[in-house]
Amino acid sequence: MAVRTIDVRERVMARNDLLAAEVRCRLEHAGVLAFNLVSSPGSGKTLLLERTLEALGEELDIAVVTGDVQTQNDADRLARHTTRLVQAVVTGGACHLDASQITEALNRIELARTRLLLIENVGNLVCPAGWDLGEMAKIVVFSVTEGEDKPLKYPKMFRMASYAVLNKIDLLPHLEFDAELAIANALEVNPALRFFRTSARTGEGLPEWFDFLKSSVGQVAGW
Amino acid sequence: MHELSLALEVCRLAGDVLVRERGASVRAIGVDVGDDAGIELENFRFCLDALLLEPPFVGARAELQPVAGDVLRLTYVEVDDGRSDD
Repeated sequence: MAVRTIDVRERVMARNDLLAAEVRCRLEHAGVLAFNLVSSPGSGKTLLLERTLEALGEELDIAVVTGDVQTQNDADRLARHTTRLVQAVVTGGACHLDASQITEALNRIELARTRLLLIENVGNLVCPAGWDLGEMAKIVVFSVTEGEDKPLKYPKMFRMASYAVLNKIDLLPHLEFDAELAIANALEVNPALRFFRTSARTGEGLPEWFDFLKSSVGQVAGW
Repeated sequence: MHELSLALEVCRLAGDVLVRERGASVRAIGVDVGDDAGIELENFRFCLDALLLEPPFVGARAELQPVAGDVLRLTYVEVDDGRSDD
């Protein structure tokens, strides 16, 4: 018998990275800014997006892609706040979105009337850090009901993100959560991280979040 | 689930090699696993071993090589094309 060893040396992420580069190219060509929202489950991403769609959905021509392991509950919730079709990706067990799913979702989104694409990734602070979706930046959302040491426990996610949203700050008076320590931990991992403090429930901090989105879209439009 | 997703991608890449090597069977696949790749090695080995029980990989073994860095790479595929050596 003839046994041969075939040299391959191919990175496992190569195909995803290639697709992500194509997504990025399509978005840039269409003048669409894309953010990839990542977090642990239950951080309040969906409510933050609901508030964002209510306030800016029309003004910024926002399109949304949601990823969930099962159900399209998040997409259904978001659909109540926009006239646009919300693209729901049910991963069927996979713990993250990948670039091929975004490629397919983009085929169903009218990019010509989109200026901001918000991708709600699967709730998971591990895997989504390693998968490029073609976004301009990752935004990590974490909440005051989690530990202050989350950034230290999941450093890759906080290192890969450009922005962080500390959510549910309306609960701070009821908790022993030390917000300054949590932010210091995050900045230790990634000193360039820009922070927002929000309560999607009460609206506290949302004006700064909205201003950031508006100015970011404005910068893309000015390219 | 993370390790399973990556093991599936390893098998997809190895499957591409097999398509090019028409009729060959796989004896082993070699994978470099970086210590900063965010992969739990034994979990990844478990997932890969499970996938290698299925066609077209039946009988193949996974040879995982821990390396430094964040790389995850299919390094080689060992095949048997069923022909005699001479």
